[in-house]
Amino acid sequence: MFRHLSVRLSSLFKRARLERELDTELRYHLDMLIEQNLAKGMPPDAARREAQRVFGTMDAVKDDVRDSWLSRFVEVAAQDIRYGVRSLRRNPGFALVIIVTMALGIGANTAIFSVVNGVLLRPLPYQDGDKLVVLHHGQSDPVANDFGFSPKEMDDYRQAQSLSGVVEFHNMFFNLLGRAEPERLSTGVVSANYFDVLGVTPLHGRTFVAADDAPGAPAVLVLGYKYWERSFGGDRSVVGQTFRMNDRPHTVIGVMPPVPQYPLEVDIYMPSSACPFRSSPSLIANRRGRMLTAFARVRPEVTLAKAQADLDLVAARLQTDYKGFYPDSGFKAAGIPLKTELTRNFTTTLWVLLGTAGFVLLIVCASIANLLLARMVRREREISVRAALGATRGRLLRQLLTESLVLALCGGVLGLVLSALSLRLLVNFAGRFTSRANEISIDLTVLFFTLGVSVLTGLIFGSIPAFARRIDVAPALREGGRSSHSSQRVRSVLIVAQVSASFMLLIAAGLTLRSLLNVQRIDPGIKTENLISYGAYMSFDKFPLTLPPAERRAKIAGYWTEYERRLGSIPGVIAVAGGGTFPLNEIDPFPQGLVRDGRPLPPGVQPPQINVRFATPDYFRTLGQSIAAGRSFAASDTLTSTGVAIVNQSAARLFWPNEDPIGTRIAGGGPGQFRTIVGVVADVRQQLDRAPAAEVYVPVAQTANLNTTWVIQSKLPIEDAVRNIKAVSQTHDRDLPVENFRTLAEVRSEGLAPRRVVVALIGMFGFLALVITAAGIAGVIAFSVNQRTQEFGIRMALGAPRAGVLTMVLREGLQLVTIGLGIGLAGALALTRVLGSVIFEAPPASAGPTPPPLTLLVDTVPTDVFTYIGVVAALLLVAVLACLMPARRAASVDPMVALRAQ
Amino acid sequence: MAPKSDLLQGTLDLLILRTLSGEPMHGWGISQRIQQLSKDVLQVNQGSLYPALHRLEQQGLIAAEWGSSENNRQAKFYQLTRDGRRQLAEETKTWERLSTAVARVLAGL
Repeated sequence: MFRHLSVRLSSLFKRARLERELDTELRYHLDMLIEQNLAKGMPPDAARREAQRVFGTMDAVKDDVRDSWLSRFVEVAAQDIRYGVRSLRRNPGFALVIIVTMALGIGANTAIFSVVNGVLLRPLPYQDGDKLVVLHHGQSDPVANDFGFSPKEMDDYRQAQSLSGVVEFHNMFFNLLGRAEPERLSTGVVSANYFDVLGVTPLHGRTFVAADDAPGAPAVLVLGYKYWERSFGGDRSVVGQTFRMNDRPHTVIGVMPPVPQYPLEVDIYMPSSACPFRSSPSLIANRRGRMLTAFARVRPEVTLAKAQADLDLVAARLQTDYKGFYPDSGFKAAGIPLKTELTRNFTTTLWVLLGTAGFVLLIVCASIANLLLARMVRREREISVRAALGATRGRLLRQLLTESLVLALCGGVLGLVLSALSLRLLVNFAGRFTSRANEISIDLTVLFFTLGVSVLTGLIFGSIPAFARRIDVAPALREGGRSSHSSQRVRSVLIVAQVSASFMLLIAAGLTLRSLLNVQRIDPGIKTENLISYGAYMSFDKFPLTLPPAERRAKIAGYWTEYERRLGSIPGVIAVAGGGTFPLNEIDPFPQGLVRDGRPLPPGVQPPQINVRFATPDYFRTLGQSIAAGRSFAASDTLTSTGVAIVNQSAARLFWPNEDPIGTRIAGGGPGQFRTIVGVVADVRQQLDRAPAAEVYVPVAQTANLNTTWVIQSKLPIEDAVRNIKAVSQTHDRDLPVENFRTLAEVRSEGLAPRRVVVALIGMFGFLALVITAAGIAGVIAFSVNQRTQEFGIRMALGAPRAGVLTMVLREGLQLVTIGLGIGLAGALALTRVLGSVIFEAPPASAGPTPPPLTLLVDTVPTDVFTYIGVVAALLLVAVLACLMPARRAASVDPMVALRAQ
Repeated sequence: MAPKSDLLQGTLDLLILRTLSGEPMHGWGISQRIQQLSKDVLQVNQGSLYPALHRLEQQGLIAAEWGSSENNRQAKFYQLTRDGRRQLAEETKTWERLSTAVARVLAGL
């Protein structure tokens, strides 16, 4: 095998030797012939002559031998490339148009593919990443209705035999103290063997061991790579240092390597024993204390299907062993590959984008094929001459394809540059949907993809004209380069294809744009003007856990009430609203089960879910969320008074149909504790593109939240207001970090950013398609006009009016466009039907920390009449403009000149 | 100039492989042996022989080595590779089947 290869390659690199050897070999043969002749008794002269006669021309034989060498193939290719480049340089405008068109098509596809490759195709960068799964359990569809996991349930699932490690994760924010400023850190609270199960080894120090997770163990931290770089400048002596966090000292024991973090990027990691919430005995004892995400590693020899069967067993056992804790029927568990899980909310959007980019490439191909076809006609004479001089048909085809490939590769390289330039934008965009976004890069796979697509498109657009035109010597030489009808038909078909593909792309662009406009117009039900929102996060050890719970609750409630009063006293501040989450924010609060007083649930039935939010007395007034019935919260609603709650209209409709919720009681706070509903508030959209969900509001003063968000309405310029708020916060508590200052208008606009990127991308693709197609139409019509100059001359000489010629040409162009529109219309309708729910129904948002998916079409039907009419009108207008230029030239033909030219 | 190919290309390849199945030979030897074995019916033209030899070498069916000839001159000797031997067996079988079939048809008429 190796020898074989070396024989082939030697023809490339040892060319001189090979030639010498061939010469020796043939000469030997000749000499033997002469000797044979001598032996027959011929005189030497005659013997030599006769031998040479029999042997033939030495050079001809040599040339035939060389044909079998690999070097010959390369030589011919080099010759073709040189020839191709020369002929392209004679016509740089033409080459440039093709290369740029190609670059746009390749660039769009490479860019989108690099995202697909980075987040969907590449294996997880962890050891045996394919064996990592995320566990879900819940009613009927465990992924969509995930309950989350309690510490007890983690232990239950550890019994599944096909899993070699089951670990937990949950995300908390804690304040790290003892440095220059309090730092609020996103913290991953994990099992001790979390890093081992994921297969991550530390960059410095060590990761957690079982002893770190024992109750009462000294608190330890592992730093994430980015946080370590950002905050400690990559100083490895941080390992061993101690910082204050929550209510005790925490020692840094290690630093993570720069690997992507799942399920989301956090600053630091701590074992579950160090988290004050997770380690509390009451949570550990509570089977319903479900706050954890569960990861597992499937044993190497076990299939996913077997692992799933084991999970089913565990779920069934839970159901029988713990009656009342789980639904009696339809309770299921599932193990989803981590890789799938991380991109579930992004996959649809990504495939739609790749599909539209593919359409652009098709249009590019058709357009370039058309250009090449036109050029072929002009080159007919050159090609005929080459054919007449002995070039075979295969040789000519090879020459044409080589030229196309040269163009395609130039376009590919330029396209690669374009996609590299747009990469940053795409990473940011993808980052809103998946934590794998940081893995997007132009790697070898992407390079191969680009190379492959470039070569393939080169072959496609190169071979269409090469095969569409028959290379015939005689007629071409005789007639002096007249286009045949067959090539004009191919060009028409290409134009029709371009128009229909552009139509579909423009429909996609139009629909997503309309959807964006609709979402922008949506009234969220709250005011967004002149409102500043931010977060304030009380340090966990502000009021130590050692205090009696009731006293600690009272202190926390008092802390926020005082803070609210101080904010209200800032000069220029009109209204202050406090809550638990931002309105219009990205993440819904965890839903909780709703239990109504006097309506006990049948055993085994899970309570319906409701989103719990928090509010201060002025919250609804400040945000302009109107009270539909009853009253708002009052300053008198405190920890010592009756527990109260307000539901929104959706909740009232859903849970109190045909009755008044006001005055009824719902469970809250703990077993036996009830809250009385005092009001019904108008629905608001917490996310612009989602319908309002059932919500219940609870007074901030009746809870013990450490994390709060605030919305301030003030007369001051924003910068002054923010400065004042920060100053007041410092006065209130110098360990209180305040972050994320944004106006609600900004929050609202930022929430639309991913949608805008999608619209911009598809819109750009559609615009490209339109321009390329318009150029194509203009080119084809101009060419046809050129060919028919003589005919027009005769027509006008015979009395045809100029306007008649103009309409004739226009009609010819519009005929093609109309056929294209018809096909495109059918295609668009079929495509939206096939894609169907994929585009206008977001897949169920997964519980847990992954960001929600994007519903591509909101309040927009895929057969939106305005979009279709708009796109048809735009395409027709562009087509008329494209035809007008050549049509006017046709109409201005001077009959005398045209006739004389022949 | 003699016609380029007296034999169908596939047949020439088969004859070359068969000739080389015994011992290594140089081009001249091969052409002589074919002529001799066919009792002068088949004359291999060098214009087809050498391209065929080089093609078979590039395909890895035969390998070449320089050695000294019977008259003590440098000559390029070809011999069968393992692939070549396999190819020879296959092509011989095909050829036999084909010629038997042709013979049957001729006899049947």
